[in-house]
Amino acid sequence: MKKKCIAMLLAGGQGSRLYALTQQVAKPSVPFGGKYRIIDFPLSNCANSGIDTVGVLTQYKPMKLNSYIGNGQPWDLDTSTGGAYILPPYLGAGEKGSWFRGTANAIYQNINFIDEYDPENVLILSGDHIYKMDYADMLKDHLDHDAACTIAVLQVSMEEATRFGIMNLGENGYVCEFEEKPKQPKSDLASMGIYIFNWQKLRKYLIDDENDPNSSNDFGKNIIPAMLNVGEKLWPYRFKGYWRDVGTITSLWDANMDMLTPETLALYDRSWPISSRNDTVPPHYVGENAEIIYSIVTEGCEIDGRVENSVLSSSVTVEKGASVLYSVLMPGVTVKAGATVQYAIVGEDTVISENAVVGNPPDGTEKWGVATCGPEICIKKGARIPAGAMVYTGEEEFGND
Amino acid sequence: MTDAKGIIFAYSASPDLGDLVKQRTAASLPFGGRYRMIDFSLSSMMNAGIYDVGVIMQRDYQSLLDHLGSGKAWDMDRKSHGLRILPPFGLPEFHRGNYSGTIEALSAVITYIESSRQNYIVLMLGNLCANVDLSNALRQHIESGVEITAICTEKNIPSQHYKYVKDEDGFIDEIRYSGDAEGLTALECYIVNKDFLVDMVRNAMVMNQFRFHKEALAGYFKQGGKMGVYMHEGYVSFIRTIDEYYNANRDLLKAENRRSLFPKDRPVKTKNNETVSALYGEEAVSKNSLIADNCWVCGSVENSILFPGVTVEKGAKIKNSILMRGCYVKAGAELSCIIADKNVQFSEDVTLVGSERLPIVVPKGTVI
Repeated sequence: MKKKCIAMLLAGGQGSRLYALTQQVAKPSVPFGGKYRIIDFPLSNCANSGIDTVGVLTQYKPMKLNSYIGNGQPWDLDTSTGGAYILPPYLGAGEKGSWFRGTANAIYQNINFIDEYDPENVLILSGDHIYKMDYADMLKDHLDHDAACTIAVLQVSMEEATRFGIMNLGENGYVCEFEEKPKQPKSDLASMGIYIFNWQKLRKYLIDDENDPNSSNDFGKNIIPAMLNVGEKLWPYRFKGYWRDVGTITSLWDANMDMLTPETLALYDRSWPISSRNDTVPPHYVGENAEIIYSIVTEGCEIDGRVENSVLSSSVTVEKGASVLYSVLMPGVTVKAGATVQYAIVGEDTVISENAVVGNPPDGTEKWGVATCGPEICIKKGARIPAGAMVYTGEEEFGND
Repeated sequence: MTDAKGIIFAYSASPDLGDLVKQRTAASLPFGGRYRMIDFSLSSMMNAGIYDVGVIMQRDYQSLLDHLGSGKAWDMDRKSHGLRILPPFGLPEFHRGNYSGTIEALSAVITYIESSRQNYIVLMLGNLCANVDLSNALRQHIESGVEITAICTEKNIPSQHYKYVKDEDGFIDEIRYSGDAEGLTALECYIVNKDFLVDMVRNAMVMNQFRFHKEALAGYFKQGGKMGVYMHEGYVSFIRTIDEYYNANRDLLKAENRRSLFPKDRPVKTKNNETVSALYGEEAVSKNSLIADNCWVCGSVENSILFPGVTVEKGAKIKNSILMRGCYVKAGAELSCIIADKNVQFSEDVTLVGSERLPIVVPKGTVI
């Protein structure tokens, strides 16, 4: 069946800079904002934009992601003509299979999947961004400008521009140059890593790229420059609105804190819902001793302590006399009586034992950072986890008495 | 594969629920901050592996149908033998009007029961608030070899008039009709051998006996019939009056009742459509309350239950109340002992005070 546009979602990244949180799961399945996992954002955007076929390319620790996505039902992607498809690396008959070697190689290895739908265009997404975007509007822009490729760009400050892939535009408004993390940026338009390609064109460039032994098989480093070299039309789609890469502990924490200002991303807006797969648990219970202000609290929580400026995912317990301040608590975390969690991210199902102290408020020094406790660990009674520390792995208990 | 089919009675008119059941049945009454009453019977069945379930309904069932959908929330959206909606259909003349009793309701769907491939039928009320371990109950029923087993509780529930008395061997051989009578309180939940049930309904109908307890069961005992009993441990309430509804909701504020109704290994499932967590503002105060996702709490909430999408503005005060989906409480409003149906708006500085004995019900969509 011919499709106008299908999406390919790159979800294979390890997210190594989130180390403690991505020991067991791929970055796209890291919980975010109370009810979500990072991948809910691109998946919901697809569904809301009318893109009903999404290939999800997985590689690193995919089990949790696979079961999370399932048949795509929570995002209404379980239709007879579309669907969410998990695409792990595979061995073809008589071929040499391999792991995905780069973003472009990941798509190259799935040319057959895409050809099955014979789409006019292919939308390339990554699974580590928090944003709401109407891909249908981007597709329209892409078609209006007869582009071979349209790249979503975000205006950033000139200082920030040195951290991004920057698009320089020619007089006609099309992209004439792409610079990865330029020392002296010539433009303030940063690539968001979201592309729409004409499929027949991309198909050819992917094959050419695969045949180049020196290529690192990356969209930004290889495919886009190759297209620019031969003068293909590359159009910048200007995105306005909230967009965050949550690839580091600090950026993940920051973006979670942003959600405490509801207007930031208007998650309550029923016209553009961000959906997620959730177990049914009772509403959250606040006890007699609870003090909750300026926080996000999700169903299944039992709160009898103090919670301020924090984001609590489902089924978190905060006991009497415990404090949670400026922190992100992922599903199933327990904070026992008398413990304090401040300026920290705590991974799923971790237990913070009695009177432990995790993290510290900013002290103005360079060394300060958000403390991180990995999933499924136990922080000992009375332990001190300093600012910026990262604890993870194993079933042993952490911290000094 | 569990050898049992479920039948849920969701037809009861429950006039004592007043405005709460104006546009719905007791089975589809919102409960506990996110559920509908029928979720308890559906989930009890689901957790016992019973996916072949018929729901008998008779009137005002639009909201119930909306809630059930295809039965997906309870894994009952099966290619065959899944959730079956049983509204009145092609009834003979005598079935018109309200069902005169459980027997008549069952006789209206007797071919559906007769044609089932399972040997056991589980009968349950759509407005029972209990998480029943039907898996254990069914095992006991099969092992004991009785024709019918009643699920009972030791608890005395004054409004529940059906009580059972056991003989020396531990079987029930007598029914009493008073909430104050000595005996085991019936949950009106039964596990019955299919053939026995079909015969019982057919025979009762021949004699114009439409009532399950007072006629069919009483007759069975009179002829020396013995009924097995399975004791349900844990929370039970029936939702038939505004009082019962108000109290059962507030019972959920006690941890032991929540643990009994929502155990991790036998979860209560419901239609799931919230897409955002609850949010607390800078001056929020909340104590001893259940608060659902998508609520926005900027004022004060105490001893209350808020369903999804309730907004409490800064300076508003809510006490001992139940606010259903989409209610909006503006700044300075004060509510005490209120049951507000869906989408009720309380304007600035409104004060509305009921009493715990007599909570005020505010109908759906009212602007105060």
